[in-house]
Amino acid sequence: MDIRRLIIYVVALVVMTAFTSGCARKIVKQNEGPVPGFGLAGPGAIAEGELQGVQTTLRTVYFDFDNYTLSPEAQAAIDYDAEILKRYPNLNVVAEGNCDERGTAEYNLALGERRAGSVVARLTALGIPSNRLSTVSFGSELPVDPNHNEEAWAKNRRVYLRVAK
Amino acid sequence: MIFEKINRILNNSAANCFATIILLGVSVLSCLFCSPATAKLLLDLDNPNLGKMPIMVADFHSSQPGSPNGADMASIVRNDLALSGLFEIIPAPQPLPMSQNGDPDINAISRTGAQALIMGSFEVNGNQLTIEAKLYDIALQKLDLGKRYTGAITDYRYMIHMFDDRVMEKITNIAGCFTTKIAFIDDSRTREIYTMDYDGANLRQLTNTRTINLFPSWVPDGNGLIFTSYINRNPDLWYVTSDGQRVVPVSQRKGLNASGRFSPDGSMIAISLSVKSIPKIFIINTQGNIIKQLTNGLGNDISPTWSPDGANIAYVSDQAGTPQIYTVPVNGGEPKRVTLSTSYNTDPDWSPRGDQLAFTAKVDGRFQICVIKRDGSDFRVLTNKGSNEDPSWSPDGRMIAYTSNLDGTKRISVMDAKGTVQAKVSGIPGRSPAWSPRLK
Repeated sequence: MDIRRLIIYVVALVVMTAFTSGCARKIVKQNEGPVPGFGLAGPGAIAEGELQGVQTTLRTVYFDFDNYTLSPEAQAAIDYDAEILKRYPNLNVVAEGNCDERGTAEYNLALGERRAGSVVARLTALGIPSNRLSTVSFGSELPVDPNHNEEAWAKNRRVYLRVAK
Repeated sequence: MIFEKINRILNNSAANCFATIILLGVSVLSCLFCSPATAKLLLDLDNPNLGKMPIMVADFHSSQPGSPNGADMASIVRNDLALSGLFEIIPAPQPLPMSQNGDPDINAISRTGAQALIMGSFEVNGNQLTIEAKLYDIALQKLDLGKRYTGAITDYRYMIHMFDDRVMEKITNIAGCFTTKIAFIDDSRTREIYTMDYDGANLRQLTNTRTINLFPSWVPDGNGLIFTSYINRNPDLWYVTSDGQRVVPVSQRKGLNASGRFSPDGSMIAISLSVKSIPKIFIINTQGNIIKQLTNGLGNDISPTWSPDGANIAYVSDQAGTPQIYTVPVNGGEPKRVTLSTSYNTDPDWSPRGDQLAFTAKVDGRFQICVIKRDGSDFRVLTNKGSNEDPSWSPDGRMIAYTSNLDGTKRISVMDAKGTVQAKVSGIPGRSPAWSPRLK
């Protein structure tokens, strides 16, 4: 077990303990201001407390170039996420599909949709009700890393699971 | 040899006619043509032996110095003609040699190699401008086209472009489209839609949605654009009027509502929808109701483009493992794969003449603008510097707008259909150009 995974487990444990101990389940509505939130509107759009806690715990799913099939690592991440989502049956999830910059914008929008669809399909197969799940593709419009190298591209080919009430 | 052919037309057409076009504001009230050309000569863009016609454009003359200035007007003409890819601009001597009767000294000019001459004059009266412009056939030693335009001083570029449209019509039998516009998205975080003249002038921000807007595409009458926008946090299809005043949703289904393109008759929209999970090409009406699903199978299908007769649609599918371009009849039939030679082919745009598709292909690791005949033959790479994508044909089929990162930033460029002349036109960074139809 690498150190990163250990940290994630610890954080998850802390978060879950906090919630199961019966603290206030106050969930602040997402910011509905004049600027609609995008994927990268980031943690600010998610309120404190439970939602925030679950959000930081969920693992992002990564993909190979021009590919929407799930690698063993991607499958493991989704399996982990499914277990967390099962503990919070009131939370819905938007799977946000993203691509790296090396592609044309329209094709990448379709590819991002397909990636999000792959993640949702596995979550459904793992028992998450489909009415809790939706997809949105941002294509290559919202890179988390704006650099133009392999490291950045690998980070940007992702499906981010955004939780909402 | 080429000019001999051109001469034949000029002989056949009524010479020395002079039409007046009155321009009030930006609307053309009347357009009186000279007699139509009686012989047909279409400069064949596919003819590899077609040379460029040497043409001289003298600075426009006025007895009133000031703004606008005649050198600027002439440079607009030179730019239009050069970007068409059909002309070689011959430098004009200063001053232009004139004969005693006040006409240009044709003999002196012919010694420069110029086969045609454009010259003009203008007058300012209050805030009104009158431009008189002439096209001379040097070999035949005659005036071939004369036009007079009157309008607001601020519309001087438009008036010059109108004259250049007529010059193209005179010499090639197909009017130019220098009076058209290009829409595109900027590179801000909230990608707004802008329009500009085809040559980059008169930049104007059309949307202010402050959310991501993508893939603008013109309505065939030029009165608006459809585009994909995240206004409601999902990639939906929206419509915006060309004055930017009204923005309304067209298709807001779950998942993708992407890359909408109007049919040539304006009655239908081809679009990629993922309402049934995988992005597929659908036909919807202008109210957004589904008329039919056009493609099936396991591939991501995106980027539809209509043939000019409205009978076929070309689109991108990765059903064979990599994105490739296919065509499919609108009224039913099997898709046919068009691109075979490279592994990544996207963004098709069907040429206005119907014979070929422009598209983006990955060539040696970078994206380049390419053309191919609709049957998959005659694949040609038009760009080779930097990375280039998003081709969009001009309505006369002579030019292509595209996104180029040649100077390190993505900007809109235009080139002639053979790629011989390539020029950056957008002052601001941007991408996803959509060339307008001819505008009224």
